[in-house]
Amino acid sequence: MKRALSFAVWVLTFVLWSVNAWAASADYPTKPITIIVPFTPGGTVDFTMRTYASTAEKLLKQPVVVVNKPGATGMIGSLAGAQAAPDGYTLTLGSSAMISTLEWEMIEGRKPPFSRHDFAIIGSLTMMTPMVVVPHDSPWKTLSDLLRDCKAKPEYYSFGSGGLYGGSHLPAEMLMMAAGITARHMPYKGAAISLTALAGKHDDFGTHYTASTIPLVRGKKLRVLAILSDRRLRSLPDVPTAKELGFDVSCAQWSGVLVPKDTPASIVEKLRDITLKVTKEKTFIDLIEATGDEVYFMNHEEVAKYWDKESVMFATLFGKLIEKEKKPSK
Amino acid sequence: MDVLTNLYHGFHTALTLNNIYLCFIGCLWGTIIGVLPGIGPMAGIILLIPATYGLDATSAIIMLAGIYYGAMYGGSTTSILMNIPGESASIVTCFDGYQMTQKGRGGAALFVAAWGSWIGGILSLIGLMILAPSLANFAMKFGPPEMFAVLLIAFVLLGSLGRDSFFKSMPMIFLGLFLGTVGMDQMTGYLRFTHGIRELYDGIGFMPVAMGAMGVGEVLSSTEESLVRIVHRVRLRELLPTRQELRASWGPIFRGSGLGFVIGLLPGSAHVLASFVSYLVEKRVAKNPEEFGTGRIEGVAGPETANNAASGGAMIPFLGMGIPTSPATAVMMFALIIHGIRPGPLFISEQPRIFWGLIASMCIGNVILIILNLPLVGIFVNLLRIPFRVLFPMILLICLVGTYSVNYNTFDLGVLFAFGVLGYVFRKIKFDIAPFVLAMLLGPLVEEALRLSLMRSGGSFSIFWNHRIALTLIISSCLLFLWNIYRGIRPSKATWERALQEGEG
Repeated sequence: MKRALSFAVWVLTFVLWSVNAWAASADYPTKPITIIVPFTPGGTVDFTMRTYASTAEKLLKQPVVVVNKPGATGMIGSLAGAQAAPDGYTLTLGSSAMISTLEWEMIEGRKPPFSRHDFAIIGSLTMMTPMVVVPHDSPWKTLSDLLRDCKAKPEYYSFGSGGLYGGSHLPAEMLMMAAGITARHMPYKGAAISLTALAGKHDDFGTHYTASTIPLVRGKKLRVLAILSDRRLRSLPDVPTAKELGFDVSCAQWSGVLVPKDTPASIVEKLRDITLKVTKEKTFIDLIEATGDEVYFMNHEEVAKYWDKESVMFATLFGKLIEKEKKPSK
Repeated sequence: MDVLTNLYHGFHTALTLNNIYLCFIGCLWGTIIGVLPGIGPMAGIILLIPATYGLDATSAIIMLAGIYYGAMYGGSTTSILMNIPGESASIVTCFDGYQMTQKGRGGAALFVAAWGSWIGGILSLIGLMILAPSLANFAMKFGPPEMFAVLLIAFVLLGSLGRDSFFKSMPMIFLGLFLGTVGMDQMTGYLRFTHGIRELYDGIGFMPVAMGAMGVGEVLSSTEESLVRIVHRVRLRELLPTRQELRASWGPIFRGSGLGFVIGLLPGSAHVLASFVSYLVEKRVAKNPEEFGTGRIEGVAGPETANNAASGGAMIPFLGMGIPTSPATAVMMFALIIHGIRPGPLFISEQPRIFWGLIASMCIGNVILIILNLPLVGIFVNLLRIPFRVLFPMILLICLVGTYSVNYNTFDLGVLFAFGVLGYVFRKIKFDIAPFVLAMLLGPLVEEALRLSLMRSGGSFSIFWNHRIALTLIISSCLLFLWNIYRGIRPSKATWERALQEGEG
C-alpha cells in the first residue's frame, strides 16, 4: 500500500512538473525576470538595459530587474548568464565588449569558459558610435591634419582611453592601423577621467562616444573631427565620417539581449517579439536618444552575422596589437 | 551680489513642499544606504532613478543629491560603533571612532561626526557657490603628474599612520601594496597573481578586505573576551561630547572642510583620499600623535568633515564642466540626461534654476540630515546594548549582506572571511591593520598615476620637473619622508621622559 502511494506521488510530481514546464512556456512570464549586466552600474550599457527593463516590464506585465555582476571585463557576468537556467527568466546583456573580451582571452591563450554560441540571441537594442575628438584649442582642424602629423612623428602624440582594450581604445587602434600611424596610448580608469584629461590638454586626441562627449563639445572644450561609422550622426550633421575622408574605419558598438541557448523556442520567440516592440516605444527611444546613442534593432540572424564579423575583426586587431607589443621598442 | 540673488531664487525653487519632501526622502534613503556597509551612494542613487521619471529635472537632482551627501553622514555609524566601514570613505573613522566606543564615548563620537559633517557640508557648499566655474578649470589642470604628486604625499603620510613606529608599520604597508597589485594591470593587460581565478582579474575586492580585516576580525578577537557584558542605561551625558572634546574638534573640522573640498575636486576616489589625508594631517598637528588610534576625537571629527566636504568639491567638475569624476556623480549626470538636461561647461549659465535650486536644497538637506542624525545617535548607541551572542552574528550578517550586495559574487564572501581571519591574526601579533588597508587602496592609485605620467613623457622623469604644481608637492613629500625617518629613529620626548623616570626608579 505504502509503495503504491509513494509511486503515485512520484508520478503525480512528475506530471505536475512537466505540466508546469509546459504551462510556464505557455503563460510565460509568470514570475519576475532578471537581466544580468556584466558591468558596474552607471555606464551607458547599464543604463540602456535599465531603460529596456522598465519598458519591457509594462509589456510583459512582470517585474524585470537588473542585476549587476561586474568583473573580469564582463566575463563573470556573461558566464553567469550563459550558465543560467534556460527558462527565460534570466536574460543577459550582450555587447561588442563581450565579443572583444572573448577574442582577447583566446588570443592570449586562455580558453574562455563560455563562447558566444552558448547564447541564443534575442535582438539588439542600441548602437553606440565612437568619434575622433580633440581638445578645443588643438591646431588640428580636420582628421587629415591629425593623421598627417601623427605620420610625421610616430609614437609622439598621445591619446587617452577609458581602459585597455575597452570601447574607447579599440576604435583608436583601428583608426591608427587603417591610416598607418602610431601614437602613445594612455589608459585611464574610465571614460570620464580620460575626457577630463583630454579637455585639460593632457592628451592630444581620443576616440569617445557621443553621450559623454557632446556636452563638452557644446561647451567648447572639445571638438569632433570625424565619426567612426557608416553614416553621419543626427546630432552632429556637419561632422564627416572617417569613411568619407578615405579611411574605412567603422566600429560602432552594439548592445542587445541574450538568453541561454537551450531556452525553449516559444519563450525565445516571445522575448524577440517583446524586444522589437520595446525598440519601437517612444519612451524608450526618447530616453536612449537623450544620452546620444541610437536605437537600432537587429533581429537574431542579423546580430549573429554582425558578431561573427566582429569576432574576426577583433581577432585580427588583437593579433596585430600583440605583434606590435612583441616588436622591440626604441 | 549676483550670488545672493541667485541663491534667493534657488531657495525659492527649493522651498516648495514637493522639493522639501523629495529632499527628505533622498537624505533618509542616503543615510540608510550609508549605514548599511557595502552599498555605496552610487547604488542607492541608481535604485531610485526610476522613481524620478515622473519628476522634473530640478526635483530629480534634488532627491538624488540628497542620497549622495546623506550617505556620507550615515557612513560613520557602523564605523564608529562596530568597526565596520560603512563605505570606503569611512574606513578611517573606524580607527579612533571604534576606540571611543570601547571607552564608552561612542555617542560623543557619533555626535561629533554628524556635527562635523554638517559644517563640512555647509562650508563646501559655500565654496561651490562662489567658486564653481573657476575651480572647474583648476580641476582640469590636474593630470597624471599632479595626481601622482598628491598621492605621493598621502603615501608618505601613510608611514606615520601606525600607532607604533614607522618601522613597524612598514611590513603592513608592504603587504598592502603587494595585495593591491593583484589583478589585471591596467596598462598592459598582464594578469598579476591571479592564478587563473577570474574573480581576481579586477583585484582582490577592497571593501571585502576592509570589512573583513576590520569588522570580522574585530568580532573574532572580541569573542576572546568575556561574553558577559554589564548593560546599563545610557545617560544623555554620555551621548554628548564634553566641552573639551568639542573644543578639540573645531580645528580638525575646519581643516577637514578645506582639505575635503580641495581633494573633492580631484578626479578619482576623492572621498576616501579626503578622509584619509585629513586623518593623517590631524595626527601630524596634534600634540600627542601617539594617542591617535586609541580614541582621539580629532581622528573622527577631521575625516568625517572631510568626506562631506569632498561631496561638495566633487560636484564642481560635474556641475561646472559636465565631467563626473566619481561613480556617484556619473549616475547623477545620467539622471539629468534622462530628463533632457546635458550638464556641460554651459550648465550653470544655461540652467541657473537647476543649479541654484540644487545648491539651496543642499543647504536644506544638510539641515535635515543633522536633525535626522542627532537623535538617531541615542538609538544607535542603544544598539550596542544587545548582548554579544546576538550582536556578533548580526554584525557578521551585515558584513555578508553588504559584501554580496556589491557584486553578487560569492567569491567576495570568501575574501571577507579570509581577511577576517587575517585581521584576527594581525590583532593577536599586535600589528596595526590601518596601514595595511590604506596601503592596499593607495598603492594601485600611485602606480597608475606614475605610469601614466611616464607614458605621457615617453619614459622621462623630466615631466615632473616641468609641471610646477607636481614638483612642489613632490619636494614636500620628500621632506616629509625624511622627517618620518628622523622621528622613527629618534625617540619622542615622552619616551625620553619615561626612560628617565624608569632609570631613576
